[in-house]
Amino acid sequence: MDLIESYREELKLIRKRGTAFWVGLLLGALILLPWVASEYFVYLLTLIAIYAIGTMGQNLLIGYTGQISFGQAGFLAIGAYTFGHLARAGVPMLLALLAAGVAAGLFGIVVGFPSLRLKGPYLAIVTLGFGIAVYQILANSELLSGGRMGLSVPKFLPEIGIPRATAVYYFHFLLALAFTLATYNLVASYMGRAFVAIRDNDIAAEAIGVNLTRYKLLAFAISSFYTGVQGGLYAQLIGYLEPNMFTFMETITIFVAVIIGGLASVEGSIMGAAFVLLVPQVFSGYKEFIPVVFGITIFIVLIFEPLGLSGRWLKIRLYWKNWPFR
Amino acid sequence: MRRNGLRWVLCSLVLLVCLIPVSVRAGGVPGVTDKEVVIGWTTPLSGPAALWGVTALGGKAWADYINDQGGVNGRKIKILLKDDAYNPTRALANLQEMKGKVFAVTGLLGTAVVHACRDFFPENKVPLITAYGNTRMWEKYPKDRLRYIFISYPDYEDEAEFLATYAFQKLGSKKFAIFYQNDDYGKMGLAGVKRAMEKFPGKAQLAASVSYELTERALDTHALKLKESGADTVILYTTMSHGGLILKAMAKFGYRPKVLTSFPLGDPIMYRVAGEVWEGVYPASSAHSGIPGSDPEADRVADILKKYNPKIKGKEYLAVFGAVSMMYTIEGLKRAGRNLTPEAMIHAMESIRNWKPEGIGAPVNFGPNRHHGVNGSRLLQAKGGKHVPITDYILYKPHF
Repeated sequence: MDLIESYREELKLIRKRGTAFWVGLLLGALILLPWVASEYFVYLLTLIAIYAIGTMGQNLLIGYTGQISFGQAGFLAIGAYTFGHLARAGVPMLLALLAAGVAAGLFGIVVGFPSLRLKGPYLAIVTLGFGIAVYQILANSELLSGGRMGLSVPKFLPEIGIPRATAVYYFHFLLALAFTLATYNLVASYMGRAFVAIRDNDIAAEAIGVNLTRYKLLAFAISSFYTGVQGGLYAQLIGYLEPNMFTFMETITIFVAVIIGGLASVEGSIMGAAFVLLVPQVFSGYKEFIPVVFGITIFIVLIFEPLGLSGRWLKIRLYWKNWPFR
Repeated sequence: MRRNGLRWVLCSLVLLVCLIPVSVRAGGVPGVTDKEVVIGWTTPLSGPAALWGVTALGGKAWADYINDQGGVNGRKIKILLKDDAYNPTRALANLQEMKGKVFAVTGLLGTAVVHACRDFFPENKVPLITAYGNTRMWEKYPKDRLRYIFISYPDYEDEAEFLATYAFQKLGSKKFAIFYQNDDYGKMGLAGVKRAMEKFPGKAQLAASVSYELTERALDTHALKLKESGADTVILYTTMSHGGLILKAMAKFGYRPKVLTSFPLGDPIMYRVAGEVWEGVYPASSAHSGIPGSDPEADRVADILKKYNPKIKGKEYLAVFGAVSMMYTIEGLKRAGRNLTPEAMIHAMESIRNWKPEGIGAPVNFGPNRHHGVNGSRLLQAKGGKHVPITDYILYKPHF
C-alpha cells in the first residue's frame, strides 16, 4: 500500500503523520475511557486485553510460522496454574506472571519438537493430544489442581487511590500494549522473517540459511509464552481455577480469534479477541440462541471476508485512501 | 506546526470521549424504584449445563405470579435474565453489566461460577440470595463479606455420608462401591462415603471407587469394574445422563445392586433418562426444595409455574427448585418493607426463622451468625414412575 524506499522506513511502526494522529487518538481514548465508561465496559476491555495477548502469540505460531496448533488450552492451563500456585506462595505478581509465561514457553519447546517432523493435520493432532493430556493431568492430580475445592488465587489489590476496576484495566492495557509493540518488533525482525519464510516454504527457507529447528522451536516457545501469560492474567482476574475451565472449548475460542481476526496480522489478533468476547456478551440477552448467533456471525465473517477482520480493515483503509476514485 | 497538531489531538480526544457510553449513576438504591425492584439472574441457558437453566425459568414464572398478586410492598419484581453458558468469565461480565441496575441476585449456578463471582456481592453491596455450588467455599469466607450471601444448598460430603450410613443401617448394605465424576462434586461424594466407612470399621467396606470424565459416554468397562468388586450397594455421584448410562451398562452385565444417588439425580425426569432400570433406585433430594408428583405443596407451585411458562412442563423439579430461590428473595423483600436498602434486605433475611417457602421443604433458618439456611437431604425411592420420600428431612450442621 505504501511506497517504502529504505529498510529503516520499513522498520518504522508508524510511517505517516495521519496514522500517528489516529493511533494517538485511539490510545488517548483507551487511556481516558475508564473515567467515563461504565464498569461493565471497562471489564470487557480488560478481558479483551488479556485475550489479545494470547491471540497475538498464537497468531505468531499459526499465522506467521504456519504451524497448526490445537494445544492452546494446555498452555493456558499451565500458565494459569503456575501463576496460581506462585501467587498463593506469596511470589510478587509480576514475577509470577513471568514464571507463568516461561513455564508455558518451556512446554512449548517440548511440544514443538514433533513440529520438526510433522506438518499440517499430523501436527494438529499432536498438539490436540497435548492440550487434552494437560487437562487430564490436572483433573487427576489434586496436588497440581488444588484438589476438590479448586484453586483460589489471591487477587491483586492495588491501593493507589483510584478505583480497583480502573487500576486493573490500566495494568492489563499497558501489558497488552507492551506485547503488541513487542510483536510488531518481532515480526519485522530477522526472526519474524524467518517465521514467514518457514510458513511459505520450509525447504527453501532452510536453503537460504534459516535454521529450521531453532526457529520452529522458537515459534512454539514464544507463542506459548504469550498464552501462558494470558493464562496467568486470567487466573488473576477470575481468582479461581479448576481444570474444567481449560477444556477444548478454550482452544477453539483462541483458534477462532486467530482466524476471524486474520492470519498473520497483529491488529487482526486484537480484533479477533474482541470478536470472540464481545459477540456472546452483546447477545447475552438472546439467551439460549447465543451459540447459534455466534456460529452464524463466524460464518458470515468468513464467507464475506476470508482474510478476517484485518482484511476488511485493510480494504476500508484503501477505499478511503483512494476516495473518490475506486 | 507541531503545537497545532497537538491541539488537534486534544480536541478530537475530547470529542471522542463525549461519544462513549457514560455510566449512569442515578440517586437512590440501585434496582429499586417506586414501582419496581429488579433482581438479576445469570444462569446457563446454553452450553453443557443448559438444562439447569430451567431453575431461572421457574424463578421468573414465580415472580410473574407474585406480580399478578400485586407484587411485594407495592413494587413489581422485574427479573433481568442473562445467559452465562456455565462460564465464569461470562457470568462475571453479566454481573458487571447488572451492576447499578439490580437490587439483588438470585440462583447463581455452578461451583466455578459462584467461586469466581463471590467477591462481586460484598464489594458492590448486592445481596446474593441462594447459589447452587459447592458450599465449602463459604466456610472460611470473611464474616463481613459473608453478610451479603444467603445459601440453602446441601453439602455433598454430608449427603454422601448420610447415604452410606443409611444404606448400612437400614438397607443391610455391607460392601459398597462408588461411581463418581472426576471433579470436586464427585470427589466430595467419595470423601463422604469414606467418612461413613470409618464409622463402621470391619462391618462395612468400600470395595471399589470408580471415576469417569465428563466427556466419556461408553461406560461398559466402568460397569464391569463395579460388578467385579462384588459390591452389594453402588452410590452414584454423577450427572443425570451418566447416572442413566452407568445403570444401563450395569444392567447389561446382569449386575443389579442397590443404588443410591446424590440429589442432582433426584429429579423424576430420571425415569426418562435411564428407563426401566431406574425403578427401585434410592435418590437423595435437597431438603430445601420439593418433589413434584410426591409433595402436594410442590405440585401446587409446579401447576402455577406451568401456567406462566408452558415450557416448564416435564422439567417441574428444576423449575420448583428455582422458584424456591425466588421465594427466598420475595420473603426477604417482604420483610425488608417499603424502605428497601441492601442493609434492610440483609436484616430481613437474617430474621428468617423456621420458615417454609409455600410449605415446601425443611424449615429455613438464617441469622447474623448463620447464612447456610438449610443443609439437609431426604431420601427418596423410585417407585412406579414417581420419586416417593422414604425418610423425613435429615438435617446436617450448617457450615457457615
